Amino acid sequence: MSDTAVIYEQKHVPQPRQVGKPGGFLHRTNFVTAVVSGIVLAAIFYFITGAIVQKVTGGGQQNNLSLPDGLQQQITMMYIGWIIGFMAGIGAFAGPIRWMLGHDLTHADAEYMSGKDMGRKKFWKYTTDHKVVGIQYLIVALILFGLGGLLAMLIRTELGVTWAEVFNPNFYNSLIGTHGIVMIIAMIIAVTGPLGNFIVPIMCGARDMAFPRLNALSLWLLVAAIPPLVSNLLMGGIRDGWTVYQPLADQAPVGMIGYQICIIVFAFSTGIASVNLITTVVTMRARGMTWSRVPIFVYGVVGSSIMGLIWFPMFQYSQILALSDRMLQTSFYTPASGGSVWLYENLFWLLGHPEVYVIVIPATAALLEIMPVFLRKPLFSYKLAIAGIFGIVGLSAVVWVHHMYMTGWAPSSNYPFMMSTEMISIPFSFLLLVMLGTMWRGKPWMKLPMMAVYAVIWNKVIGGITGVYLSDTPVDQYMHGSMFVVAHFHFMLMGAGLFGAMGAIAYWFPKMTNRYLDELIGAIGFWTAFVGFQVTFFAMFVAGLQGMPRRVLQFDQAFNIANWISTIGAYVIGIGMLIFLYAMITSWRSGKLAPGNPWGAHTLEAQTETPVPHENFPVLPVVTSDPYGFGVPDPYELLDSAELQAKEGVSKVGAS
Amino acid sequence: MSATTTGTAAPEPLSPTTGETVAEVARRNRLGIWLIIVSCSTGTVALLVAYSYLWSLNVSSGWAPTAGQANWADDWPFWAIALGMVLATVLLWRSWRVMQAGKSGASVALAGLASLIFLVCFIGQILQIATFPFGPQDGAYASATLWLALANCIWLSLAMFLATAVMNRARLGRIAPDNASQIQFIAMFATYLCVAALLGAVFTLTMKASPNQSSPPFGTFQN
Repeated sequence: MSDTAVIYEQKHVPQPRQVGKPGGFLHRTNFVTAVVSGIVLAAIFYFITGAIVQKVTGGGQQNNLSLPDGLQQQITMMYIGWIIGFMAGIGAFAGPIRWMLGHDLTHADAEYMSGKDMGRKKFWKYTTDHKVVGIQYLIVALILFGLGGLLAMLIRTELGVTWAEVFNPNFYNSLIGTHGIVMIIAMIIAVTGPLGNFIVPIMCGARDMAFPRLNALSLWLLVAAIPPLVSNLLMGGIRDGWTVYQPLADQAPVGMIGYQICIIVFAFSTGIASVNLITTVVTMRARGMTWSRVPIFVYGVVGSSIMGLIWFPMFQYSQILALSDRMLQTSFYTPASGGSVWLYENLFWLLGHPEVYVIVIPATAALLEIMPVFLRKPLFSYKLAIAGIFGIVGLSAVVWVHHMYMTGWAPSSNYPFMMSTEMISIPFSFLLLVMLGTMWRGKPWMKLPMMAVYAVIWNKVIGGITGVYLSDTPVDQYMHGSMFVVAHFHFMLMGAGLFGAMGAIAYWFPKMTNRYLDELIGAIGFWTAFVGFQVTFFAMFVAGLQGMPRRVLQFDQAFNIANWISTIGAYVIGIGMLIFLYAMITSWRSGKLAPGNPWGAHTLEAQTETPVPHENFPVLPVVTSDPYGFGVPDPYELLDSAELQAKEGVSKVGAS
Repeated sequence: MSATTTGTAAPEPLSPTTGETVAEVARRNRLGIWLIIVSCSTGTVALLVAYSYLWSLNVSSGWAPTAGQANWADDWPFWAIALGMVLATVLLWRSWRVMQAGKSGASVALAGLASLIFLVCFIGQILQIATFPFGPQDGAYASATLWLALANCIWLSLAMFLATAVMNRARLGRIAPDNASQIQFIAMFATYLCVAALLGAVFTLTMKASPNQSSPPFGTFQN
């Protein structure tokens, strides 16, 4: 260590020897090199595996799926080659290799990697700055929502009238499965991705996330995982819904491998992001930000991350073992040779249900953050909100079996799990009570973020109440597998999750883009989508109550009216979302410039300027009060007025 | 939230990239490692649940490796590999201690030895998998045991990488008494790997023949 660098607050820090120019190998990598090397390695893996299989089997053999022998192995290795090649091409392996070789990063290296003074190029690179990663997550989420939404339109087009047969039945099933998993991934990242990365570190008073390189890794792993998933539509599709139950998945075409690879990689991405977010909040909060001064949105993101950290590996292993059954002919889920499909269902739902809370909690917490600002009132019962968040996190571990009431697995466990599922409505109610309590006698400043609060409360009540019905084993006997279930979970995931995310994006849009979101066009889009949503899913409730099963292409004429209305509603949602998207794009490009604190919030992200400086704060802040002291005089204002009075006193004395 | 700004006087040594104290960075890294261990543990639990679940059900009498005459895997390789991992982990912990005491040469040697033992364990694990008296398709026991071994294989390759990196970085002076916690974090993770390997060994030792010998056939679910 010979040289020194001046860091942040004019601190002179000894530096390790600079190897090459700052950034090193990362100068040569970007999204294009990633795609090219991904494709090249995928092709190499595909052909080498084919040659090996040909050599071993002699070729010409067929397996029980009537696929050419070795095709599954080739496809799997192709996807693995893609992931490795993509990550190598984006520069993800440069850090670990440098670390092993002892070439430690200098401050100049770190600045290059964070995209300092790099312009828009930084959005196409392995950039570590949390603000860049947040924007990248936002773009990825919007692309996924666009894709999932398009698939939803196709599904509803098919279901507009029975026997329409717009699509081949197998392709229709693939649309359902792909729509489901694409939307689930999009919803999981919708709030914690863009806002967890962009806003949370600033809200905590940190300069960046705890592990900036892991932050970039989580984003690019997600990007790498998407092509295998989407490519399933070209390879026979996912015909078994987003849950891909066994043994159907084991017998499905090779498109299923894309799903499995995607989930395995996505779980890594989520785990890494969770570790990063939790560590940032626990260890990097500003001085004075005690646990009772941490903004509620931060609690929501931490709660969501804890669930992701603990439960995603279960989902990941459910798919690793499923892939193993296909590739190696193991028998984890093959009953004829000792496997059990219930094992799959248990591993799957151990994440599958908490995932709902992974989605809903941060969106709800974002709205709790928004409410005091737009009502100019303190958050009602801050501690009850925290209890609600962590009550849900705790109970999420003991509710998964309600998805398996009717499978015949351990019927005696149905009633305990019925109780635990109903119990989780208690902490959920805490959050609702905090919302209502904060609104009580408040005079809302009716801007788009606040509008989302009303929409989400409505949706959450509908989704919550119908969820209580479905958690009851006797009712579930009649309602499971019906359109009623579909409507219920859309009210929770889309109604609470997506509409909450839209409100949150609208609130932090000025901070992220330096411009206000167009209030009028945004509101038109938002409420159009909201109305369409009610039409679509209330009609779906009716179809479900009439007895229409889910995941069917053809149905009885009796369900025609409900489905017709539902399809019209879906198109209205689509129009609303497009309007909202238009508002986002035009506002981002040429919207009204926003000041650093556009809504008069008290949280730290509102105290720094916009655009947010590269290091977030010129000097690290110290927190002196809780973030919801609306209606309580600001101590600095008091200080100012006291000083003023003192001065006035002095001047009066002087004058007299 | 009212906020004021202030500067902080940080004592040496400092992180070259962020200017924070090394102790502060270490505190953050320690929590990160703990969280990674928690997440990885859930994955290990998933494998152990799969093993014990299929063992207890014996679906279609398909647990044992071959119908009629069961070919269980030998127990000793599981234990030998696990004990090798424990030994390597103890060496890593020792490497951390001696680095703290300023004996960097001894630390390098211990980390190098740990890396070598991990390599031997890795080769042993490959050999064990290659010589299992069953193939992956020979029932649920074979599947579950194979994956306990495969998971161990993946962990061992990671452990090798980490121990080699520790050795190399200590050799180059990148790890010094000031930032010896880097070795401690690797040792923490290696300890988790030992626990996972030992649990695998315990499961394969104690859960062989299924307690359920009257399992009904479930069929193939094929059309």
